[in-house]
Amino acid sequence: MSLLRSIAGGLRSLFRKEQVSKELDEELSGFLEMATEEKMKRGMSREDALRVVRLERGSLEVSKEVVRSASWESFVETLWQDLRFAARMLRKSPGFTTVAVLTLALGIGVNTAMFSVVEGVLLAPLPYSHPDRLVVVWENNLHFKQVVWPSYPNFKDWERSVRSFQRMAAVKWRYYDLTSPGSPEHLLGAGISSGFLDTLDVKLPFGRDFSAQEDQRGGAPVAIISNDLWRNRFAGTPQALGKAVTLNGVDYAIIGILPPRFHFGDERVDVYTPLAQGDPLLLDPRGAPAIVSIARLNLGVSVVQAQAEMSAIQDHLVQLYPDANKGLGASVVPLRQVLIGDVSGTLLVLLGAVGLVLLIACANVAHLLLARSAGRTREFAIRAALGASRSRTVRQLLTESTLLSLGGAALGLTIANWGVHPVLAAVPGNLPRSESVGVNTSVLLFTLFVSIGVAVLFGLAPALKNSKTDLQSTLKEAGRGTTTARHRVQNSLVILQMALTLMLLVGAGLLFRTIQRMSNTNPGFDTQHVITFKVGFSPSVTKTASGMRTAYRQLLERLRTLPGVQAADFTYIVPLKSRDNVAAFWIGSQMPAVVRAAPRMMVFDTGPDYLRAMSIPLLRGRFFTEDDTTKSPCVAAIDDVLASTYFRGQDPLGQTITFGWTPPWGPCRIVGVVGHVRHWGLGNESSYTQAQGYYPLYQIPDQWVTASEGFPATTVIVRTPLPAAAVIPAIKNVLYGIAKDQPIYNVESMQEIASESMSAQRFPMILLGVFAALALLLASVGIYGVISYSVTQRVHEIGIRMALGAEKQNILGMVIAQGLRLALAGLVIGVGAALVLTRLLVTFANLLYGVKASDPLTFIAVSTLLTAIAVLACYIPARRASRVDPMVALRYE
Amino acid sequence: MADKSSDLVQGTLDMLILKTLALEAMHGYGVAVRIEQVSKGVFRVNAGSLFVAFQRLQRGGLIRSEWRATENNRRAKYYSLTEQGRKKLSSETREWERQVAAIARILEAS
Repeated sequence: MSLLRSIAGGLRSLFRKEQVSKELDEELSGFLEMATEEKMKRGMSREDALRVVRLERGSLEVSKEVVRSASWESFVETLWQDLRFAARMLRKSPGFTTVAVLTLALGIGVNTAMFSVVEGVLLAPLPYSHPDRLVVVWENNLHFKQVVWPSYPNFKDWERSVRSFQRMAAVKWRYYDLTSPGSPEHLLGAGISSGFLDTLDVKLPFGRDFSAQEDQRGGAPVAIISNDLWRNRFAGTPQALGKAVTLNGVDYAIIGILPPRFHFGDERVDVYTPLAQGDPLLLDPRGAPAIVSIARLNLGVSVVQAQAEMSAIQDHLVQLYPDANKGLGASVVPLRQVLIGDVSGTLLVLLGAVGLVLLIACANVAHLLLARSAGRTREFAIRAALGASRSRTVRQLLTESTLLSLGGAALGLTIANWGVHPVLAAVPGNLPRSESVGVNTSVLLFTLFVSIGVAVLFGLAPALKNSKTDLQSTLKEAGRGTTTARHRVQNSLVILQMALTLMLLVGAGLLFRTIQRMSNTNPGFDTQHVITFKVGFSPSVTKTASGMRTAYRQLLERLRTLPGVQAADFTYIVPLKSRDNVAAFWIGSQMPAVVRAAPRMMVFDTGPDYLRAMSIPLLRGRFFTEDDTTKSPCVAAIDDVLASTYFRGQDPLGQTITFGWTPPWGPCRIVGVVGHVRHWGLGNESSYTQAQGYYPLYQIPDQWVTASEGFPATTVIVRTPLPAAAVIPAIKNVLYGIAKDQPIYNVESMQEIASESMSAQRFPMILLGVFAALALLLASVGIYGVISYSVTQRVHEIGIRMALGAEKQNILGMVIAQGLRLALAGLVIGVGAALVLTRLLVTFANLLYGVKASDPLTFIAVSTLLTAIAVLACYIPARRASRVDPMVALRYE
Repeated sequence: MADKSSDLVQGTLDMLILKTLALEAMHGYGVAVRIEQVSKGVFRVNAGSLFVAFQRLQRGGLIRSEWRATENNRRAKYYSLTEQGRKKLSSETREWERQVAAIARILEAS
């Protein structure tokens, strides 16, 4: 109530200033007049009375000021005055204002853009209700200390017994070929258990969730479709409910439509089907990793408590089913952590980098302010002489810098808002949650906060410097001011800029070297001239295993006859793509007691021509032939890593190997040893499974051939010297020649895949490179500005030097040396700081490969570059200095 | 002005003004003179602090003001207590008496 009245009173005096001031004036002078009259009544002369009253009661002007400044609106009023004055001052020097605002816009713009990415990816809440209660439950291989997908039977047992969760659900991604309605299309789908949508608390705008009866083997074929698919294929009408979509040749009745923009995980999923209707081969074995399990914690239950309960449940399951579960724990992880993955380190490093760019920009604006304030020394001296306190002057100057900074922020925000999406789109790769990136309230607040912080940062040093002017000498000296102190500040700023720039350049340089190293790494196969794609075979040929084998062979035979095709075959997984197929294995046929503790290998199920298509060297023995089929004895090939690690000194050829989960495949006779392939990525040597084995595609048992994870999941590898664009039409002709409803999709060259696999490094490298270039530009402008300003200030001195016989060369050298001293000081500090900070690239973001954080080549190259730029930036003012005419210079003063 | 008058205890000026206005509406000088007379010159109020207090009290809704003519036919702003101000005065007075009594007890005890 009284706050409201105070605001109302304040506003009244703000907007009806004249009247309020007049009233106060009248009231106060009335007061003093009455006091004077009283004194005069007692016999004083008017003059004496006035003097005594002024002493006793205070003078009219001072009292007025006291009353006025006691209220909050006086603060606003002064601020407004300062702002108007600041705007006037900035308008008066448009060149300075433009450069300062542009510099700040650049600095604040990149920070806003980067923060909006960090905000969208790392900070913004997940798009589900109460997302902090959502967790993922993994199985945890205690032997390898690695989380794995749980098996479906284990999940069912968890779901039955757990008390910590309000709801628990499972999801498994599936590939579907949609053939009706509309044209054939390959879609990513997901099998979800009946509690999935409920767990995420998703409300369907139309239709309903799966019932428990539908989420069973043999349940009615029903589907829930994405909002996009609904709009594209059913024109977004509610009548779509009850209609059918044909997926892999089966009609599914649509029972629900998802809300717009609903998604789970990184990839776009279009159809959801009941999980339990999926392939029994994948769902039934208790020992096979099958699903992703999510859960919503009960209110008040912590992750730690849930973890304790899940561990107890899992212990019990290990006792009940030791064969499948021995060595397996359960692990509860917040969903957020799983979805964001390991980009947080990279993003924070980048945010730190743009912070450095902003500091460099600030230093530049501070240079400008300092140089400008040289011309304003007299103004401040006069202000001080008129009674302005130091804090009042600092406040005035900070208002000016805040105004500049807010101008920069407004422009920077525009740039960021307009630029962040094209940049994200241009960045190849795998930034999770990038769809939630944008300029929103928190980004706006960040920008406001940063711009005010920045204003204080670049404004405070000049403001303090200016407010401390020595009145007498300044007014006497007629504007020369305190130049030496100002130089000290500017010199330290230049040194700081150089050091920061060096740090950014080193970061970008190290990443560049990493990419270079990775590109030069031999992946174990030839990435040139290889095209990969997937094929959705017509449902008419995928009914039986023998039909599929025939169709697949037939396609290959036709492909191999195409002009330019040198080799072509199928593989289940493709190197450098993120898919893997890791299985436990053992030599011989004796199954180890604890399969979970058995060593791991990557299993490539491929056709005989795969080795030639990929140009993987065959080191010993033979690879598969067309005669290795289900009717002949099981054979396998291994890579040299497996051979040297597990057959030390023995000949692997002729020995047998068994692999898989339950039931295992094999024992298979090892017929060949091939070269190792970098499957996990060009820069990844140590982590995960390195041993590799090959299994003939045509020996895969019937029930696996038709499974959705079997033949339909394979990729065609074609070796051809022709570009993809030239070959794909011919391949399409072949496919459509066999059957009309066979889509071809995911066409990629192996080079694209290799390049994509480096995106985790390339994305930060490009950005760090851009930031470092900005920093270099700003810093060179900075050193140029400072040296050139100092030359202007020293014209007199240079004139004297020349008059005393200094050569042009001496002057040139003197000025360049002045700049070089600063640059070198910056380099030394920068190298020291960079040696510490680049460790972050390794420990925090895990970005470097094949290059040490202290790589001498990078440090030397970067220092040389920076020195050269600094010399160049100093050369221009140095030349100007060497052309000073001593006569003119001396007369000028 | 400090030679014979004492500085007011922080915050007591408001109470004194309220008390003075409780009798009748007054203009600023009237309030100042009344406080000085009743305190027998112990307190002397200068214009600045008096009008700052008026502004504060008015914004707090404890007093209201209107322009009127004085007995000497001069225009002056007269201040008077609001209902809220009356309540405030009685509660402040009670609190003040309680404190003074407490301080007195402490001083007598030694």
